[in-house]
Amino acid sequence: MAGKPVRPVNAIDQTRRMLSLVTYLRERPGARIEDVARAFGITEDELVSDLDVLPMCGTSFRGGDLLDIDTDGERIWWHNPAALGAEAAEPLRLAADEATALLVAARAVATLPGLRESDRQALLRATAKVETAAGEAAGASSRLSVTFESEGGVFADVDRAIAERRRLWIRYYSPARDEVTEREIDPIRLVSVGHTYVEAWCRRSEARRTFRLDRVAEIRVMDEPSAPPEMELRDLSEALVQPAAEDPEVVVEVAPGGRWVAEYYPHDSADELPDGGLRITLRTPDPASLRRLALRLGRDGRIVEPSELADSARQAAREALAAYDGAEAAG
Amino acid sequence: MAIAKAERLMNLALCLLGTRRPLSKRELRESIEAYLEAGSDDSFNRMFERDKDDLRELGLVIETVENLDGDTGYLARRDSNRLPPITLDAEEAAALGLAAKVWQQARLAGAASGALQKLRAAGLPEDVDPYGAHGALEPRIPVHEAAFEPLMLACRDRRPVVFDYRKANAAQPEPRHVEPWALECWRGHWYLAGWDRDRGAERVFRLSRISGKVRSRSGRFTVPVPDVVTVRETVASWAGETADRSARIRLRSDAGYPLRSKATAVRELGDGWDELEIPYGHGLDAWLVEFGPDVVVLGPAELRADVVDRLRAVAKG
Repeated sequence: MAGKPVRPVNAIDQTRRMLSLVTYLRERPGARIEDVARAFGITEDELVSDLDVLPMCGTSFRGGDLLDIDTDGERIWWHNPAALGAEAAEPLRLAADEATALLVAARAVATLPGLRESDRQALLRATAKVETAAGEAAGASSRLSVTFESEGGVFADVDRAIAERRRLWIRYYSPARDEVTEREIDPIRLVSVGHTYVEAWCRRSEARRTFRLDRVAEIRVMDEPSAPPEMELRDLSEALVQPAAEDPEVVVEVAPGGRWVAEYYPHDSADELPDGGLRITLRTPDPASLRRLALRLGRDGRIVEPSELADSARQAAREALAAYDGAEAAG
Repeated sequence: MAIAKAERLMNLALCLLGTRRPLSKRELRESIEAYLEAGSDDSFNRMFERDKDDLRELGLVIETVENLDGDTGYLARRDSNRLPPITLDAEEAAALGLAAKVWQQARLAGAASGALQKLRAAGLPEDVDPYGAHGALEPRIPVHEAAFEPLMLACRDRRPVVFDYRKANAAQPEPRHVEPWALECWRGHWYLAGWDRDRGAERVFRLSRISGKVRSRSGRFTVPVPDVVTVRETVASWAGETADRSARIRLRSDAGYPLRSKATAVRELGDGWDELEIPYGHGLDAWLVEFGPDVVVLGPAELRADVVDRLRAVAKG
């Protein structure tokens, strides 16, 4: 699993958490810090900072007691659970944003092809129960929706290979080279960020690679066991493809009609040009792979650097045009 | 040292939840240490109003009651704040646990964890994680667009907005007045569907093309929100996925796998080339040009002309 994203301290999130925490702790005298942090999906440090605040809180109106909650670093003790009336310790209804966040995510995950059928059924049952419990608060969740894209058959094979720790043989399309290559990969995990990817150890390049499932032309689960080397899983929350600082620089100038380039390609800079266009600087380990981009842009943009790349795009266009001249002459 | 905001909010919440009769502002001020330290009436009042809003944001239903003397009192009644009974088994709990992790947007990630924590407090089973067993599946919902949060809130609260929007091929952004209906994420990008007041029609906007701030407008929606809002279909047609015609191309035998996978017919020509029939929708010309000399368009003539035109522009470049 990827590392937990680092959350800034947010007073609303913390208050919401502490309200649930008092209900939870009331039922579990001597709960272990480790277990509570896991149940609440927070770090032990976050939990300890909550435990620092709680003794300052209470139904303090007219001299009511503060919550006498403390910890010996391992277990949590609440010495006066009666300080909070039985009623004030009941679980709270879901807020509209909470219901939306949970329900939209649950519905999205349920659309993932390749999700085990029993898991999908469990998710659908849970979604229905949460909808009922949330009542009116569930209404706003229809205003957000998310669809994950992935290729059902490929997904199922990758998922099975990971579960059974088996190697995969794939034919994989690389748009950069417009070629399909055969590879053996040891799959590590599936990631859905818009498109669905499998992160794997590629035995051909002997490196960690990310493969987009809709570019897998053919797939087979092999008999050989999968044996990816031990490695730290990266946090993929930013971008799947992170250009390296030592990669060569490419400069593209686009007209207004080519501004989409800045939306699709991670780049170092995009400076406005006087005509409404952009001058975009990006890095790629393989500038030749951007020939497609140069061809696609047509009159909406051009490669400024490196000049070899600009030349190769021009050359490709001339070659392509020759076929049309020939056909027209022949016809 | 100033008292932390979470401590103040927590005390206010516990006071409002713990009382059976409405508490006046004065009573609350005297009960909560942070309010005693607030200083002037003005700064207390501002703080109190903000705190009430924040507690409502996390789901607390706070009632405002006028008493006989005309004083305003506040309370959070148990029956309107209690989570209805909900029983989830271990598999259902694990499934929700997975779903709660997918948001990469701070506000929704916080809200999803908050929902799970409330369910946890209500007895949601723990410690069973069939996904964690091999950790194969990691769905994530990316949200990189700054416009997302204000638009999400505007959709939720049905508030009209105005933002600067740059169309795909426009040099300059222009302001658009929109009644926002729904947001949808498709292929990793977020889109907004709504009523475009300037154009008097339903429109779909791509969030990454919104520049500057999304500002709220006063007033209500002027057009009823449809029951079903279709974002995907509109976006698919932009992406050229709704093709109503077909095109014939020649493709070098070892090239163009994605074109092959979309082809409705493939014929080997035997000379190192194949002839393909492929769906012809918006944007096909730009896509075909990417394959350079490995593709030759045979027809229709209109597509052929578009491709030649694009190639000429690059050849001259």
